[in-house]
Amino acid sequence: MTETAGNPVRDLSQAADMIMCDGVSKWFGDFQALDGITATIKEQEVVVVLGPSGSGKSTWIRCINKLEHHQEGQIVVDGVELTNDLRNIEMIRSEVGMVFQQFNLFPHLTVMDNITLAPIWVRKKPRSDAEDMARALLERVGIPEQAEKFPGQMSGGQQQRVAIARALAMEPKVMLFDEPTSALDPEMIKEVLDVMKELARSGMTMMVVTHEMGFAREVADRIIFMEEGQIVEVGTPEHFFTNPTEDRTKLFLSQIL
Amino acid sequence: MSQIGLLVVVVGTMIFLALQAGDNLQARAIPTGFDFVGDSVGIQLSEGIDTKPATGGRALWVGMVNTLRISVAGIVVATMLGVVIGLARLSSNWIVSKIASVYIETMRNIPLLVQIIFIFAVIQTLNGLDEDTGPISGWFVVSNKGISIPRLFGLNGSFQWFAFMIIGLVVAWWVHRRRVQEQDATGAVTYPVLSAVGVLAVFGIIGFFVHPVMGFLGPVFGAMANLLGSISESLLQLLLALAALLLAARRIRNFLKSMSSGGGRAKLVDDDYFRMVFAGVGALAAVLVVFAWPGLSSWLLNSGQDLFELLESRFGSGNGGRPFDAKKPDLNITRFVNYGPAGLTLSPSFAAVFIGVVLYTAAFIGENVRGGILAVPKGQSEAAGAIGLSRGQSLRHIILPQAFRIIMPPMGNQYLNLAKNTSLAIAVGYSDLVQVGTTVYNQTGKTLPVVAIWMLFYLSVSLTISVIVNYINVRLKIVER
Repeated sequence: MTETAGNPVRDLSQAADMIMCDGVSKWFGDFQALDGITATIKEQEVVVVLGPSGSGKSTWIRCINKLEHHQEGQIVVDGVELTNDLRNIEMIRSEVGMVFQQFNLFPHLTVMDNITLAPIWVRKKPRSDAEDMARALLERVGIPEQAEKFPGQMSGGQQQRVAIARALAMEPKVMLFDEPTSALDPEMIKEVLDVMKELARSGMTMMVVTHEMGFAREVADRIIFMEEGQIVEVGTPEHFFTNPTEDRTKLFLSQIL
Repeated sequence: MSQIGLLVVVVGTMIFLALQAGDNLQARAIPTGFDFVGDSVGIQLSEGIDTKPATGGRALWVGMVNTLRISVAGIVVATMLGVVIGLARLSSNWIVSKIASVYIETMRNIPLLVQIIFIFAVIQTLNGLDEDTGPISGWFVVSNKGISIPRLFGLNGSFQWFAFMIIGLVVAWWVHRRRVQEQDATGAVTYPVLSAVGVLAVFGIIGFFVHPVMGFLGPVFGAMANLLGSISESLLQLLLALAALLLAARRIRNFLKSMSSGGGRAKLVDDDYFRMVFAGVGALAAVLVVFAWPGLSSWLLNSGQDLFELLESRFGSGNGGRPFDAKKPDLNITRFVNYGPAGLTLSPSFAAVFIGVVLYTAAFIGENVRGGILAVPKGQSEAAGAIGLSRGQSLRHIILPQAFRIIMPPMGNQYLNLAKNTSLAIAVGYSDLVQVGTTVYNQTGKTLPVVAIWMLFYLSVSLTISVIVNYINVRLKIVER
């Protein structure tokens, strides 16, 4: 075990595959957004996806819970292949939590109702159990006192933390983060990243699209660099930030660091 | 203080203009009195609650009822049709959505007046009425005399049946609450609304046979009538005055309470004082009216007593038969009536106006519905899907509640338009308020008073609709900070 950039390299070679993508391609009309993506994400692994805008990072992560449909290739989540069958999609989605750039909280429901909606209607939990769990989750993301507020009454950072709690309420096996801090004011980014770090330490399998290099360096087990719908380079944070092999990665790093 | 100044200027200008107009009208001998309301005008109306009204006032009243009848029915049907069309336009089925688009574009782009006249002309070209007229002869008859269907109407027992249904409502409410509690406690899906509807249906059917058991209410209503009869006029005056004062006092107290928090009371500005003064003045005015007009109190007492006496007779013996009966349209009478036990008939002019405003307004409502659903951000359905809600659940819990909030304000506008557009009835001779009004002023020469009544009527209808819609909007408003 070597200590690099604050993140201990974990040995996950024995862990089970959580997400497996094999030759995933997707087109928006004539434009090819994903070009033969092949990657495997292990259980408990934290993977950060980097890349310039338009490189297909978000499209890929959205394909994993079928918010976008891939046209070629195969995606397997926790041993279940994604098909176009509605029941299959609903099952995958209830196992995969997603956090969006724009939070997408339900503005007409209180924080409590936002979090308990899916446990009650999808998991068929008793309301009191769902509310107990929601309170515990709000405690975990650091805003236990906001349960009865509406999303419109909260700051962006608080809203994003509620969104994380809402996803966790389904007790997902994987959490997908689609640029979770990009719509936040700088002083609110830290509170959201702290929640995500805690989540990573607790052993959650996570796939994070972000531009937060500090977070990637500190938390990621692996970094995947994408460009033009293809995976350009994969490696540990140490390898990626100190010794990248591809020219394109070097160029990207020189522009942002 | 500046507010008081503004008030004085506005009210002063209005009084000046009114006086000026009065002088001018007098100088040119234009009649302005409202005496025709009580005088006989000798006009005959084509349909309504009274086709040979004795006075001008009664005639206008029949017109108002006809206008309200077509407006309320039109709003209900146009809403249903509009929602269907709006959803159809969003359908992924190409034919369905194209049909809806063509419908909307056609209806929106042809003036309503033209459409009403067109529908009326089409009805005029239909076959005459005889035994075999269809589509379902004897039951559903479309002819140049109008559109006739069978009609359900209440017999004497219906009062007892409704009383029985009130018990059913209470039970249904209780069942609904129990079911919701059970669902919350165990997580099982218990269909609370369906269960409540089921309970109501069961009560309706049982009530059809056992409704006479509610007959015991007859003596109860009798006792109420006697009680009202024993209350003296001055006692009621006192009670009403007290109620008005208490109401105002409560309002002011609650207002002050809402203005103050733990740290003391917020500084009151002019507006706040006006509110309290208005509440007080309003209460005093109510007290004044109650005491200066004893007729009001005795009228309240008498009509209350009459109501309970009527109820007593409805619940008395001799009401044991069926609560409802249905009759086929009576094809032997040459002139269809809307009232009475002869089925329900839309006269050609009623049908033309009704179908016209419904089809026209439904096109706009459809666009509102489509726009409202599209206006819910895409992220909402994505987020709903991402936490595992099915499409139906996402529609019910996330999309429709938000779409409804967006749809409601423009929907109110369409309701206002529909109510106002019914005045086009004059083109096809339907006896709405405007048509009756023109007849009345042609007979009496009192143009201005009739127009004043029209304006007051449409104003109050429109204001009522907007008050209701605004109330719903405020209740549903999404909380932001």
